[in-house]
Amino acid sequence: MAKTAQEKADLKAEKLYQKKHKKKFKATPGDIVFNIINYAVFGLFTLACIFPFYYLFINTISDNDLVIKGVINFIPRGLNLDNYKALLNVSDLSNAFIVSISRTILGTALMVLASGFVGYLVTKQEMWGRKFWYRFLVITMYFNAGLIPWFMNMQMLGLTNTFWAYIIPGIVAPYNIILVKTYIESIPAELEESAQMDGATYITVFRKIIWPLSKPILATIAIFGAVGNWNSFTDSLMLMQSAPELYTLQHRLYIYLNQASNLSALMESGGQVSEAALKSALSGKVIKYTISMVTVIPILIVYPFMQRYFEEGIMLGAVKG
Amino acid sequence: MNESKTSREKVADKLYIVIRIAILVSVVFLFIPGLNPARISGLINRNMSLFTTGLSYSTLIDGFGRSFKKGWVDPSTMKLVYASALCMCLGIAAQAAGGCMSVGNRKFKRLGNWITLIGSVVEVACMSGIYIAYGQIAQTPKPKKVQPIFPDGFWVIMIIGIVLIVLSLIQVFLLPKAAKDDEYEMESKYKLFLMFMPFLALVGVFSYLPLWGWRYAFFDYKVGDTLSMDKFVGFKWFLELVKNPATVRDIVRVLKNTLAMSALGILTSWLPMAFAIFLSEMKNLKFRRFVQVFTTVPNFISWVLVYAIAFCIFSTDGFVSSIMVNLGIWDQGVNMLMSGEHTWIKMLAWGLWKGIGWSAIIYIAAISGIDRQLYEAATVDGAGRFQRMWHITVPGLIPTFCVLLLMSVANILSNGMDQYLVFENATNTDAIMVLDLYVYKLGIGKGSISLTTVISMLKSIVSVALLFLANGVSKLIRGESIV
Repeated sequence: MAKTAQEKADLKAEKLYQKKHKKKFKATPGDIVFNIINYAVFGLFTLACIFPFYYLFINTISDNDLVIKGVINFIPRGLNLDNYKALLNVSDLSNAFIVSISRTILGTALMVLASGFVGYLVTKQEMWGRKFWYRFLVITMYFNAGLIPWFMNMQMLGLTNTFWAYIIPGIVAPYNIILVKTYIESIPAELEESAQMDGATYITVFRKIIWPLSKPILATIAIFGAVGNWNSFTDSLMLMQSAPELYTLQHRLYIYLNQASNLSALMESGGQVSEAALKSALSGKVIKYTISMVTVIPILIVYPFMQRYFEEGIMLGAVKG
Repeated sequence: MNESKTSREKVADKLYIVIRIAILVSVVFLFIPGLNPARISGLINRNMSLFTTGLSYSTLIDGFGRSFKKGWVDPSTMKLVYASALCMCLGIAAQAAGGCMSVGNRKFKRLGNWITLIGSVVEVACMSGIYIAYGQIAQTPKPKKVQPIFPDGFWVIMIIGIVLIVLSLIQVFLLPKAAKDDEYEMESKYKLFLMFMPFLALVGVFSYLPLWGWRYAFFDYKVGDTLSMDKFVGFKWFLELVKNPATVRDIVRVLKNTLAMSALGILTSWLPMAFAIFLSEMKNLKFRRFVQVFTTVPNFISWVLVYAIAFCIFSTDGFVSSIMVNLGIWDQGVNMLMSGEHTWIKMLAWGLWKGIGWSAIIYIAAISGIDRQLYEAATVDGAGRFQRMWHITVPGLIPTFCVLLLMSVANILSNGMDQYLVFENATNTDAIMVLDLYVYKLGIGKGSISLTTVISMLKSIVSVALLFLANGVSKLIRGESIV
């Protein structure tokens, strides 16, 4: 982008100004103390956010005997991937992994398609009863019948213990529709009008103009949708009670973690724990760490690339509010 | 669209309202298992709707293995049921398609009418098929085992089918013939609506239909029962909430936890703002970015994973224990998750660990929107660092803060259940049980559907009231609404 001469001059003046003032205000001792404390506090908190993941990771790739002794705290030792290989033999897990992956892909894809299309439709003022139907849709964000009525409804519809219970209820997401609608409204109307002059139908306009132009917002909602799908576990917990083959990975992880805590609760309360149970609980610890790692890895891998979209997402929500 | 309407057409338009409603009811019948007109035997799964009956033969005959073997039911009967259900699905689909076409021009209307007529004839024919199958199944030698049932919805849908046939026949005469050179056309307002309709149907089914479940609050319902009027108990469950001492004790405890944790959340809601302000005081942009990126990671992991993290750091053989034991401070590992002390504070801390970096982003963006010149002017006037923060940055962030604060006040009863569910154990259950978790445990865990429906219902109503209140306050103070 070419800058005008005026802008350039302004920029220059500002730089000069800053230079001058930097020299003028030297850091006082108070500033130095403030900075040290500030950097230290943020550094420690950031460490607290990263370190657990690191700790989890080094314990899964170290020698299991050392892990059980509790000496792997900062540096991994005896590197191996045996734990990850061992997981491949746990059929429950690979099954859960497939369920989680498929619900994430299918659920997100359908949600994004629907949000894009509905977001486009509700920008059309000429729709029959547009205002009413739009409100009908948006009100559901603020009001719900409650957990138990929702559960009974899913049961009545025959969706419990079916894979579709993960997908169908999530297709229409009012909040995402609002985001897309707001975005589409910012696209110049002339683009669409000229296409309609040429006799393009709504579907064609959507496919050829709106969809490609809304890609940034669609990417944002896709990422949020995918993370939400991957992380959700209460739906698996409530709706899949008699279909263990449809448990998500998060649900499986919850079950594995709980087995451990039950055992340690028993030990804590002075109950008798057999030698064998204790031993399996201890090596089970490594398995639990490994499963946690497998569950968190997709998020950690995707996150750095998608950071920008995540931040855009929260800003969009703020604009709407 | 320059067709002027004759009086016959006006009558036809009125008839269409009835036809469309009838079609809508048929479509509803298609998907609600409780109304399945093809459920002619107790052996057919209770959760099967007409649609699923026509979809999968293997699910339909799931319960019939023994009956087929012993000859109580002839497989041909079930095949007849399956074929009828399948054709009924197609018939109802045709009705629906015809109904959609009825908002088009004359040519569309005539075509749609014929399609509805054919669909309805197919539907009624299939109903007779199901009737015959019922006749066969009713003559089974073992009625106790096969449990023949005459489906509740049968006559209703039969009558609707016949009404649709009659009305469509009338329409054939009422609708004027289209001119030869007419094209199939539809006004764009209806086109748009028809495209929107499937999504509205999903909203209706998943967001509005649950309201129908509120009726459980007025019945004595046990899991697996069917509702009937003799189980109607009026407001018994509502009174239970205030009269039964055990329930009252539970509710008071649960509400105390819920409100306490929400209050702690609200009291600390300024922390993300402080986080953002102090972060933006750092000169080193790279470090700032680093902090910002890594403190938002925990927000994107589920509560189960947060628990896994807690487990690997604080459990008996976790990080803290092994450090303490290695240093010789503790004799043996301690499981810090298994303690009932300071539960509220701990939950607050986990919430902050997970959410603070993320919540701060919105404030960081707001800070970058504040005019730099304000800071420079203040510096020139001799304002120190803290004075600038307090008198320029904070006032710039207050509007955002207010909106978020009002929202969290409106959500005071809903602190979610994931976090408390994963951290709950025998030692802390008294202090951690919040309303959502209590409803889940009591309703889905113990099957006390009626009582928990009452609680869900009251909670929804209170939440909406609070939201309106918060919105009103916002309008009063800021002149803007938050919803």
